[in-house]
Amino acid sequence: MFKVLVIIPAYNEELSIQHVIREIKSHMSSVDILVINDGSTDNTEAVVKEEGTKVLSMPFNVGIGGTMQTGYIYARDNGYDVAVQMDADGQHAAADLPKLLSRVEENDLVIGSRFLEQTSYRAPLMRKVGIRFFSLLVSLVTKQRFTDTTSGFRAAGRKVIELYADYYPMDYPEVESIVYLTNRKCKLVEVKAEMRQREAGKSSITPFKSAYYMIKVTLSVLISAVRFKEVKSLP
Amino acid sequence: MINIYLLSILFSVLFLIVILELVRRRKLKEQYSLLWILMGILLLIISLNVRLIEKLAFWLHIEYAPALLFLFGLLFCFVFILHLTLVVTKLSEQVLRLTQELTILKGKESILHERDH
Repeated sequence: MFKVLVIIPAYNEELSIQHVIREIKSHMSSVDILVINDGSTDNTEAVVKEEGTKVLSMPFNVGIGGTMQTGYIYARDNGYDVAVQMDADGQHAAADLPKLLSRVEENDLVIGSRFLEQTSYRAPLMRKVGIRFFSLLVSLVTKQRFTDTTSGFRAAGRKVIELYADYYPMDYPEVESIVYLTNRKCKLVEVKAEMRQREAGKSSITPFKSAYYMIKVTLSVLISAVRFKEVKSLP
Repeated sequence: MINIYLLSILFSVLFLIVILELVRRRKLKEQYSLLWILMGILLLIISLNVRLIEKLAFWLHIEYAPALLFLFGLLFCFVFILHLTLVVTKLSEQVLRLTQELTILKGKESILHERDH
């Protein structure tokens, strides 16, 4: 049995985080849960502590990339074999956890995909277009078929934990972090995963940021694709 | 008699002195002062020898010589701003890494603290 850490980055998720933690515990009692509170201004930290779950609090809001990477650094330093990342808003189903974990031994990264097979997930049209666009782009760049590159439901093996602790993209990291791994000769696989509409709080992606999102992510994917040299990491 | 030539020489010298003084007082790091010193020396050379700009403009087929000055000034600004954004990128990476290490350390410390009580 390997040591598994579920990393949940949370920013102002006091309404949904308790349910997310309880659901994970009810499906997988053997995993450790780590919530990383990205400078929330609400009671997220207190709610997590109430559940008896470990919480690390960033001193201020650093964004999803830096928060996620903190989890991977923690997983690396504490000798975890597998790190799973899950959203704090309850859109990922803990029932899919065993499925992700069952594939992580023969792969370096397992991605929970909404579109691999028909699931009940229904996205707004524009978001669907965006998701398809990035999947197509990444499939072209990596020469491997991906259906859901923006999914934040992933299980990472030891090799990926170490790579992500070294380098992780800062904002909107999901798509670029796939290309980064394929450049490092990692084995990636998608498995079907249910995603629910969010239970509480609001999505971090407002229409206003969408244009920036599209351009920034496209640029970083294209640059990652031509980046043969090692990304210089801090000592 | 005060004219623009004398003024620009005075200004260039003053500019260089200010930069060097800032470095001496450790208000400006040597590595960031190099571009400014280069700029100051160029200014001084141009002020001392105005014909230089006119000759250069003639070689480059620029009819209006001062345009060359503006071009140099603008290019210098671009280079310097690029340099600054490189510095900011490095700084923000370092700050993030420090924040992450601090967050993890704080978590460890609070466990030890709870164990003691």
